[in-house]
Amino acid sequence: MLLRTKGLSKQFNGIYALKDVDLKIKAGEVHGLVGENGAGKSTLIKILTAVYKPDNGTVIWDGTETEITDPLKSRNLGINVIHQDRQLIPSFNGIENAYLGLEYEKKRGGIIDWEKMKRRVLKLSESLGIEMDFTVPASLLSPPQQTLLCIIRALMTECRLLILDEPTASLTDKETAILFRIIRKLKEKGTSVLYVTHRLEEIFFLTDRITVMKNGRIAGTVDTSESSEDMIIRMMTDNWESRTSSGSRRNIGETILKAEHISSKDGIVKDMSIDLKKGEILGIFGLGGSGRTEFLETLYGLRPKSGGGITLYSEDYPQPTPKSSIQKGMVLINEDRRKMSLIMPFSIRKNITLPVIDKYSKAGVIDEKSEEGHAAEKLKMLDIKSNGTDQTVSELSGGNQQKVVFARALESDPKVFLCDEPTQAVDVKTRYEIHRLLRDRADSGCGVVFVSSDLKEVLEVSDEIQIIVNGRSRELLKNRDLSSEDVLRYCYLDR
Amino acid sequence: MKKNLGIEKLMRSYGTVIACIIIILVFSILRPDAFFTIKNLINITRQISLLVVIALGATLVMSVDEFDLSVGAVASLGGIISAKLAVAGVNPVLSIVLPILISFLIGYLNGMIVTSFKVLSFITTLAMSTVLAGFTFWLSGGATVFENIPDSFKYLGSASILGIPLLTAIMLLLCLIFRFILNHTPFGRRLYAIGGNVNASLVSGIDVVHNKNLAFALCGALSALTGVMLASRLGSAHPTGGDGYFMNSYAAVFLGRTVVKEGIPNVWGTFVGAAILGILANGLTIMQVPSYLQDVLTGVIIILAVIAQKVTSGEDM
Repeated sequence: MLLRTKGLSKQFNGIYALKDVDLKIKAGEVHGLVGENGAGKSTLIKILTAVYKPDNGTVIWDGTETEITDPLKSRNLGINVIHQDRQLIPSFNGIENAYLGLEYEKKRGGIIDWEKMKRRVLKLSESLGIEMDFTVPASLLSPPQQTLLCIIRALMTECRLLILDEPTASLTDKETAILFRIIRKLKEKGTSVLYVTHRLEEIFFLTDRITVMKNGRIAGTVDTSESSEDMIIRMMTDNWESRTSSGSRRNIGETILKAEHISSKDGIVKDMSIDLKKGEILGIFGLGGSGRTEFLETLYGLRPKSGGGITLYSEDYPQPTPKSSIQKGMVLINEDRRKMSLIMPFSIRKNITLPVIDKYSKAGVIDEKSEEGHAAEKLKMLDIKSNGTDQTVSELSGGNQQKVVFARALESDPKVFLCDEPTQAVDVKTRYEIHRLLRDRADSGCGVVFVSSDLKEVLEVSDEIQIIVNGRSRELLKNRDLSSEDVLRYCYLDR
Repeated sequence: MKKNLGIEKLMRSYGTVIACIIIILVFSILRPDAFFTIKNLINITRQISLLVVIALGATLVMSVDEFDLSVGAVASLGGIISAKLAVAGVNPVLSIVLPILISFLIGYLNGMIVTSFKVLSFITTLAMSTVLAGFTFWLSGGATVFENIPDSFKYLGSASILGIPLLTAIMLLLCLIFRFILNHTPFGRRLYAIGGNVNASLVSGIDVVHNKNLAFALCGALSALTGVMLASRLGSAHPTGGDGYFMNSYAAVFLGRTVVKEGIPNVWGTFVGAAILGILANGLTIMQVPSYLQDVLTGVIIILAVIAQKVTSGEDM
């Protein structure tokens, strides 16, 4: 056994991201790691590379108990990670990037021996079957070439465990084939590989064993040859079934927002269509990186749209901007409230009234009394715990901050709510209150688009669920007798 | 224990103002005859008026989290244009208003470059400053404009109303106006929102580009007014006359950020910051401290203020 973890646990803000994780990786095996969004895969990798310290548990490396105190220690042990976001220095060339964190080769007198360094990098790349120009800056390499360069860097030192985190996300078939060949070669040499991905077919193609994670725990480890895709998906979820009653009671009316074949300029959203009706909560579910956030941002006008049509209340809405979206009654609740929603140094009052501050102004002067009155009303309505409307939002708890975001959204009396992870990092009570608020709004004739990476939550609140895979809308599922397993199957088995 | 916390809170809220009062007290005790006289205090207000006006411009630009390093060059240009116009016999009001309008447009251009190409304002306005310096040099022929300046042009810089210098009155009026704009109008609210979180401002439907451009434009106008006030006071305009105000204006804004709890650029703080710098310069000169030592002291005080700001805001986070 090369690596063994015993009872690894890690909490964030009192919530377990990892609990009692026992992972076993044999020497020379390719080990797949799968799990839903937020199952704890990233946290586990970050502990192995000393980005996080575990609260409890031990790591046994090559038979001896080892404390991985810092990233350098992890690298010295022979653990190397290739992340989704390729960590290269853009202005450095291939040789310099390969030598990041390593001592440069030197001639006598301390002069850098570029020739020797180049020879070593070329020899390694040849042995891996990678062809690329190492003399140009990394910023000029294509994304797949950058990934290959990361692999070369990882293998510059003796590598005993290579961790690949969604490595094929940006690769074309050709580079994927190269990557797979490299993985096979490494395996022959006795290097272990931990392969993390959402793509089950790759897992089955490559790995010897598969570990499935669920809610921060290990749901099980199986031999690849003795399992099936269906079995893995079943292990990933508690198979939570929707409450069939929740959706059907509501009175669903005519279409309020229609989006057809939407694509974003940056190419992340490729072909998304939705049809949101009055009184409906439409869940959108997709795996991490499927373009959920980007789709909502494109609809709202925050992200440039390159194609497709939007119809809002049966009126054409070709060029959305945040300002006109707010005026038309469509609001966006962003995923990241600190970065995208709140003005942290502002008071609760100023945050709530910001988009409609002109409404509270007479002759270009803010009428602070009426502003204050309205803010106080919202404070009471949403039960925001604070010392009053003049308290700075940075001093509030996460749940109360999110309520301020909703209070602001309600200011413009919207008919369409685009909610991106609206209950992220909020307490259970606030989560319930936000669900109730959205249901109330839907009951009174609004439409709600609800995005969450928590599938259980999507099944809890949605009337229908739109599946999104790789920037494209796929199946539209009625949330009736639907199980989380069904939904995941659509996400994972899409070809 | 409780009392200690009270003092800490007091120092955090009013530390900079208290420092300003202490400086006044020290000079008053050391030189009661020369420093703490009505005449000298009024003189100080006249001396700081230019710095306050230009620093108001810097305050606006900093409130949207940008820099305008061309304030000094714009002030120099404004002074030269207005002096040239006055010499040419143009109506004195026009010779004041015209350079301000031109600089409003220069500021707007600064803003447009920064917002439309998403480049760093720091380097953009620094480069603009060089462009303007060259232009000012060409316009003035590199020489001080002082011959044939009509007395009417000097009125702005030398007149007093009821014993209060006109320059002081202008400074106070502008402080009140811009304090009102920043704190009580939607425009001011938007500027602070952009400075607080530009992404959240975009999501809230704020026209970030337009508001930033306006902040730059107003900064340009205020910088030019400073140049005009300077030329009028001296009765002459030098092609690099306004340059010296650039560093001190930002020093005033940074000192001013320590005056309020939120640590944001604000008019009252900028006024206090400029006052500290002005009082120090005045007092140290009366004490016959050599000017190089004055520079050292002023620089150290600014560094201390920035550190104090970081330390206190760090505790709040």
